[in-house]
Amino acid sequence: MSNVVSANNLTLAYDSEEVIIKNATFSIKKGDFVFITGPSGSGKSTLLKSFYGNLKPEEGSLVIGGLDMVNIKKSKLQELRSHLGIVFQDYKLINEWTVEKNVVLPLWISGYSPEVQSTQAKRLLHHVKLSGKEEKYPMELSGGEQQRVGVARALAKNPFLILADEPTGNLDEYSSNVIWDLMENACHQLDTTVVVVTHRIPMVFNIPYRHFTIDEHGSVYEVH
Amino acid sequence: MKFIKRHISLIFPLVAILLGLEFFIVFDRTTDSFEKSLKNGYTMMVVAKDEMSIDDFKAWDEHIEKVEEIAKSKILDRVNLNTDASKGKTFEASLPNFYSVKLDSYLTISALDEVKKNLMKSKSIRRIETFNSVYQSQYELFSFIKFSFHTFILFMTIIGFFLIVKQMEVWNFLHSQRMKVMEIFGASLFLRSKVLINMALIDAILSAVITSGIFIAIQNLWVRNSNMDILKENVEEIFAFTDFFILLTASVVVVMIAVFLVVINVKEE
Repeated sequence: MSNVVSANNLTLAYDSEEVIIKNATFSIKKGDFVFITGPSGSGKSTLLKSFYGNLKPEEGSLVIGGLDMVNIKKSKLQELRSHLGIVFQDYKLINEWTVEKNVVLPLWISGYSPEVQSTQAKRLLHHVKLSGKEEKYPMELSGGEQQRVGVARALAKNPFLILADEPTGNLDEYSSNVIWDLMENACHQLDTTVVVVTHRIPMVFNIPYRHFTIDEHGSVYEVH
Repeated sequence: MKFIKRHISLIFPLVAILLGLEFFIVFDRTTDSFEKSLKNGYTMMVVAKDEMSIDDFKAWDEHIEKVEEIAKSKILDRVNLNTDASKGKTFEASLPNFYSVKLDSYLTISALDEVKKNLMKSKSIRRIETFNSVYQSQYELFSFIKFSFHTFILFMTIIGFFLIVKQMEVWNFLHSQRMKVMEIFGASLFLRSKVLINMALIDAILSAVITSGIFIAIQNLWVRNSNMDILKENVEEIFAFTDFFILLTASVVVVMIAVFLVVINVKEE
């Protein structure tokens, strides 16, 4: 199976003095479900940011979906991002847009017709158990509901890679379970690669997964 | 109400800037014709030993536009000497040549002195009368009005720009979150700024229409009914149809620069 993520001696730093990830070498294949854990401040979110081009590698190489993230051009990065599904702990929804508009954001960016957008929004909102909330605004929803909107948005364009940064960090048990189910399904049924940064791997998880951990020195290990 | 609130904060400073620009255009146009009438009404008198053509004058100073010889008989008529015809003829023949000289523009006093100095370099020219005192008072009044108006326009424009900078801060606060999220999901710069561009373009068009409306109202409701001749003579100068396009272009350029500055300053977290 082909590699979706491939890192070789990857070093990440916000400035050359403060190295966050040191010489990491790993690969993630298509259809893998990967948890990344580690203590606070170890660089889990930083590593995830480098996957969607928010942070350029300081040294080494990083290839995402066949694109070299060290020398990637702006236009190529935009194209890559339009094929990723990203979920954030703080949801990052657009507050002045309705739930439906938030969900179809990736489709709107890619120029899909309003009919396709509307059909897809209804399907996804049904999927995340938010049918009937299309016209609501994010601030009118609970935290769990907002995160489900975030997951629906991440799934909108059937991405080849889903990146989730602490997706259940602020959520109650019910919302957390809904989100894990959605991620499992995306991976299991659609063969989507999923990378989740989390403090704690859920107790009950129904599909096989890989587990990477980052220690306090920024070294990345796979836990077998 | 929300629409008005959202747009008025940009329309207000834009209208201030456009009013400044239109006042500048109108003032320039009307003062141009006033300046022309001042220039046409002004002549200097030159007394020359030999006969001189316009090219002779132009060779000494390029500001010379028109030269007219004043008939010696006219000068004698003015002087009104009680002499017989034969003596008069002899006297006329002994007189130098008199010229009325017009300039190509309304010059400053120092430039006028420069013209005089240049002409005096000619060995033929004996004397030049520039009527400085009348000229100076007219020129100083004209310059003062022009300076006051330009200062007022400049002041208005600066205030307008400060208000636009404030509005840019508001835009940054209102739109940066949306633009950052859109960037994460791969939206191009144009797509990210589309909402802001649309809003700014509407405001630019509305501001140009409002400013044009103000000047059309001034032209038709006030100037046409005014008793001031100088205003009535220049009524068509107050607003020309092409001014709308100048205002529209200016407001679109200003808002596009403002939008561009806001968009490029939104950095991904």
